[in-house]
Amino acid sequence: MAEAAPALAARTPTLFERLRRAADTPAVLGPLLAAPAVGLLAALVAYPLVFGVWLGLTSATLGNAGHFVGLANFTALFADPTYRAATFYSILYTVGSEALKLSIGLALAMVLNQRFRGYRAARSLMLLPWVAPTVLAVLAWQWLLDPQFSGISWLFERLGLIHHAINFLGTEWNARVSLIVVNVWRGVPYFAIGFMAGLQSIPAELLEAAAIDGAGGWASFRHIIWPLLAPLTTILVCFSSIWTITDFQLIWTMTQGGPVNGTQVFTTLAYQRAIPSGNLGQGAAIAISTLPFMIVLAYFALRAMREK
Amino acid sequence: MRSLDRREFLVGTGAVAATAAGVLLDTAGAQAAAYTPMFTPESGAKLQLLRWSGFVKSDEAAWNANTQLFTKLTGIPVEVQYLSWTDVSPKAALSAQVNSGPDIVMGWYDAPFIYPDKLVDVSDLANYLGHDGGGWYPVSREYGYDTKERRWIAVPIGVAGAAAVYRKSWVEQAGFHEFPKNLGGLLKLSKALKKNGHPCGLALGHAVGDANTWAHSLLWGFGGKQVNPDGSVAINSPQTVHALEYAKELYETMIPGVSSWLDPSNNKAFLAGDISWTINGISIWVVAKESFPQIFADTINAPIPMGPVNRPTPFNLFTQAFIFKYSSYPKAAKEYLRFMLERKQADAWVTAMNGYVTPAARGYRSLPVWTSNPNVTPYRDAMVGELSDGFAGAPGKEAATALNDFIVVDMFADACVNDMPPKQAIQRAENRLKAIYG
Amino acid sequence: MSASSASKPWLRIYVPLTCYFVFMFVPFYWMLLTTFKADHELLTTPNPWWIFHPTFKHVVDLVAGTQYLHWFANTLLVSVGATALSVAVSFLAAYAIVRLRFPGSKTLSAAIFFAYLVPPAILFLPLANVLIALHWFDKLWALIPIYTTFLVPFCTWLLSGFLRTLPRELEEAGRVDGASHFQIMTRIVLPLAKPGLISSTIFCFTLSWNEYLYALVYMFSSANKTITVGLTTELIRGDVFQWGQLMAGALLGTLPVIIIYFFFVEHYVSGMAGALKD
Repeated sequence: MAEAAPALAARTPTLFERLRRAADTPAVLGPLLAAPAVGLLAALVAYPLVFGVWLGLTSATLGNAGHFVGLANFTALFADPTYRAATFYSILYTVGSEALKLSIGLALAMVLNQRFRGYRAARSLMLLPWVAPTVLAVLAWQWLLDPQFSGISWLFERLGLIHHAINFLGTEWNARVSLIVVNVWRGVPYFAIGFMAGLQSIPAELLEAAAIDGAGGWASFRHIIWPLLAPLTTILVCFSSIWTITDFQLIWTMTQGGPVNGTQVFTTLAYQRAIPSGNLGQGAAIAISTLPFMIVLAYFALRAMREK
Repeated sequence: MRSLDRREFLVGTGAVAATAAGVLLDTAGAQAAAYTPMFTPESGAKLQLLRWSGFVKSDEAAWNANTQLFTKLTGIPVEVQYLSWTDVSPKAALSAQVNSGPDIVMGWYDAPFIYPDKLVDVSDLANYLGHDGGGWYPVSREYGYDTKERRWIAVPIGVAGAAAVYRKSWVEQAGFHEFPKNLGGLLKLSKALKKNGHPCGLALGHAVGDANTWAHSLLWGFGGKQVNPDGSVAINSPQTVHALEYAKELYETMIPGVSSWLDPSNNKAFLAGDISWTINGISIWVVAKESFPQIFADTINAPIPMGPVNRPTPFNLFTQAFIFKYSSYPKAAKEYLRFMLERKQADAWVTAMNGYVTPAARGYRSLPVWTSNPNVTPYRDAMVGELSDGFAGAPGKEAATALNDFIVVDMFADACVNDMPPKQAIQRAENRLKAIYG
Repeated sequence: MSASSASKPWLRIYVPLTCYFVFMFVPFYWMLLTTFKADHELLTTPNPWWIFHPTFKHVVDLVAGTQYLHWFANTLLVSVGATALSVAVSFLAAYAIVRLRFPGSKTLSAAIFFAYLVPPAILFLPLANVLIALHWFDKLWALIPIYTTFLVPFCTWLLSGFLRTLPRELEEAGRVDGASHFQIMTRIVLPLAKPGLISSTIFCFTLSWNEYLYALVYMFSSANKTITVGLTTELIRGDVFQWGQLMAGALLGTLPVIIIYFFFVEHYVSGMAGALKD
C-alpha cells in the first residue's frame, strides 16, 4: 500500500476517485456510517414517538383522529384515582426492584469474579432468568405464588414456619412485594454481568496495592472498588430502570394490575385505556407522563457515559 | 332474498356440516352450481378472519370444515387466524387504527362500539340471521345495534356462558338436595359447606372473565347498576350496599386467596378438590371428564342463583363478528358470515363447541346438545336475562373503560378483601366512574 | 476480605452462591416438574416438588401436535436476522461516533440513546402506521428491522464504549500507510472489536429470541408465529392452560440461548469489560 500511494497521486484523479477521497474525511464518512442506524431509528422510533406525543394532546380514540385538546388529557389524569395508584406503584416498583437488583447483582458479581471450582458453569447458569422468555417464565412464578398450589407455601408449612398458605398476590402489599421479587429474579443477571465486567476492568495492581496497605475487605470496597464502579452503576441502573418502567408483560400476566389496582403501573394502565377501551389520547398521555422520569434517567446515564 | 335453489342446497350443506364433512365434500362440488349467494361476492375476493381460539379443539375443527365448504362452493379462500381470546382485542384495535388487517373479526364485549365508524353496516345480515336463528335475545341487539346511527355494526354470535359448578356429595352433606335457586339459599349453603371444611371460591383478582361475571351478576341481582341509561353515575345506591354486604358474608365462606385469582384459578382449585362450588364456563366440567374422573363423578352444573330482583341477571363474555370498512371484499365477508352463522351450518359448529358458547339467538335452544347431558343444560340458558356491561348505560368507550379498569370487581374486592365499609368502597368506585363518565 | 474469612471459600463463595442459585433455579425446576407431570398430578400431589408418575406426553404433544418446530425456525430466522442487522448498523454508528468524531456526533449519540425511552406497549400503535405505509405487515422478515428499535441503542452504546478503548495510534499508523478511513475500519478495527461484537451479538439474540408483543400484533398468518406467540396462542384456551406443554415449550425454547451463553459467557463479560475500561 505504501508503494501504491505515490503512484495514485501522480495521475489526474477520476471523478470516482475524487468522490472516494471526499468520502474519506470524518465529516463525510461519519454521517454516512451512522446513516443506517439513524434511518432505522428515525423511521421506526422517532416518527411514532412524535405521533404518540401528538396523540396525547388530542381526543383521539381508536380509529378516530379526534382533535387537539391541549393538556386536557393530563389534567383529567391527575384527577383520576386509578392513575394516582399507577403512579405510586410505578415509582415503588422501579425504585424497589432497582435497589435490590443493584445490591444483589453487585454481590453476585464479587463472588463470581473469583476463580473457584465450577466458576465457568456458574457464570453462564446464573444468566438463566435473563434468558428465559418472560412471558412463559412468569407462568411458572404464577404457580409458585398461587394461593392454593404454591410449592413455597407447601414447603414452609411442612417446615412449620407458617400455618396457612401465603397469599402472595392476594393483598395489595403482598402483591407489590411479590412482583418486585419476580422482577429482581429476572433482572439480577443483567446487573451481575455488568458488574463482573466492571470489576474486570479495575486494574489488579490497584486492588493489590490496597491489600498491601492493609485495607480490609469493606474498606477496599468502599474506597477503591465502589468509586470506580460508580459511573458504570449509573449506566446499568439507567438502562435497567428504563426497561423496568417500560415493562408490561410481567405485571400484565401476573396480576393485570390487581388486586384493586395495587400493582397498576403506567404501562398497564396506558395499555388498558388505549387498546381494549379505545381511549387512545388518554393512553398516549399516560405513556408520555413517563417521559419526564425517563429524561431524568437518560440525563444521568449520558453524563455517566461522558465521565468515562 | 331466499331463492328456492338456495334453500334446497342449504338442506344439503346442513347435513354436510353436521356429519362427517370430508366424505360428503365431493357432492358439494356438484351443488356449487346451485349455490346462490345472498350477497354477491366481489370477483377475486379472498378473506381473512381473526377469531378467538376455540375453547375446545372440536370448535376449530367444525369451523374450519364449514369454512372449507364455503371455499369449495364459492371459490373464495378464507384464512382464519386463531388467537387466545384476550389477544383478539389489541389486534382488532390495531386494525381499526391503521385501516388494515383482517376483513372480519370476532371480538368481545364493546369492541364494535369503540370504532363504530370503521365498521360495515350489517343490518341486512343481522336481520336475516336473527330471523334465521329464531330471534335475538335483547342483549344481542345491544351488542350489535348502533342506536346512534340506527344500524347494525356487528353480528351477534353468543356468550361464553357461565353457570354454578358444585360438588354434589358435599352439597348433600351440607343438607341441600339441590343447588339453591336464590342468593339467600346460596349463602346458607356456603356457610354450611364452610363449616364442613369445604369453602367455595369466586375470583376477586383482575380476572377478565370470572371476576367480572359474578360481580356484575351479583350487583344486578340486587338491583344495583353502574350508570343510568343517560350515562350519569348511579353506583351509589342502597341496592349496591346490599350487594356488597351480601358479598362480604359470602366472602367469609370462600377459600383464602381469591383476591389474586385470575381466570384459570378457580378451574385449578375446583379440579384439585379444594373448593365446593364456583361460577365458571363449562370448561371445568369438560376437563374433569377428560382428566379428573373422581371429581367428574361428583360434579354438577346448575343455574346461577337469582338475587332479590327475582330474575336471572347473568353477565357473560359476549362475542360478535364485525367487518371492517377497509376490507376490499365487504360483500364476500358478509356472505361468509351469512354462510357460517346460518343455522344450517352453525348448528354443527355450536354442537361441536359442546356448550362452551351459547348462541345469541333463541332458536338454538332446541339443539340436542343442550339436553345431551343435564350438566350442559344450564349453559343453554346463559343468555336469558343477560345484560350488557355498563348497564344500564349502552355499550361504548365509557362502559369498556369501566370494565377494563375492573371498577365493579375492585369495589367488591375493596368491600370483601380490604374490609372497607360498603359506603366507602362505593365512594371509591363512584369517583373512578365519574372520572370516566364525566 | 479479612484473612480469616478469605481462607474459608465456602463462606465467601459457596454459601452466597447457593442462596442465589436456589432462588434463581426454583422457577426453572418448577417448569421442569410441570413438563413431566400428568395434569392430575399437577393439582393433587402429596409433594409438589416431586414427580411420582413422570410422563412424556406433554413433550410429545408439543412437538408432534403443534407447529412448535416451525415456530422455532421462525424465531431463529428473525433472531439471527435482527441480531446481524443490529450489530452491523450499531458498529457503523459507533465507529462513526467514537473514531471519526465528526461534527454533531455527540448529539447523535444522545439521540440514539433517547430512542430507548419509548415503551413498546404504546409504541406499537403509532409504529403500525409506519409498517402499513411500508407494506411490512404480516411479513416475518419485517420483525428484523422492527427489533432494531430496541436493540440498536444498547448495542451502539456498548460498541462505542468498546471502540473508545482501542488506541488512537491504530488510525494514525493506518493513515500513514495510506489506508482510507473505511479500510482502517474494516481491516484494522473490526478484527480488534471482536469481543465487543460478541457481547452485542449475545445481547441482541437474547432479546429478539424472547420478544412477544411485536410478534403478536404485527403478524397475522399462523405461518409467521414465533415461539412465544405460538405457545401462548395455541396452548391457552379460555381459562384452560396446557401447563405441561407451555412449560415444555418454554424450556426447549430457552435451551439454544443457554448453549450460546455457555460457550460465550467469558467473551461476553470481557467484551463488556472492554466497553467499560477507561
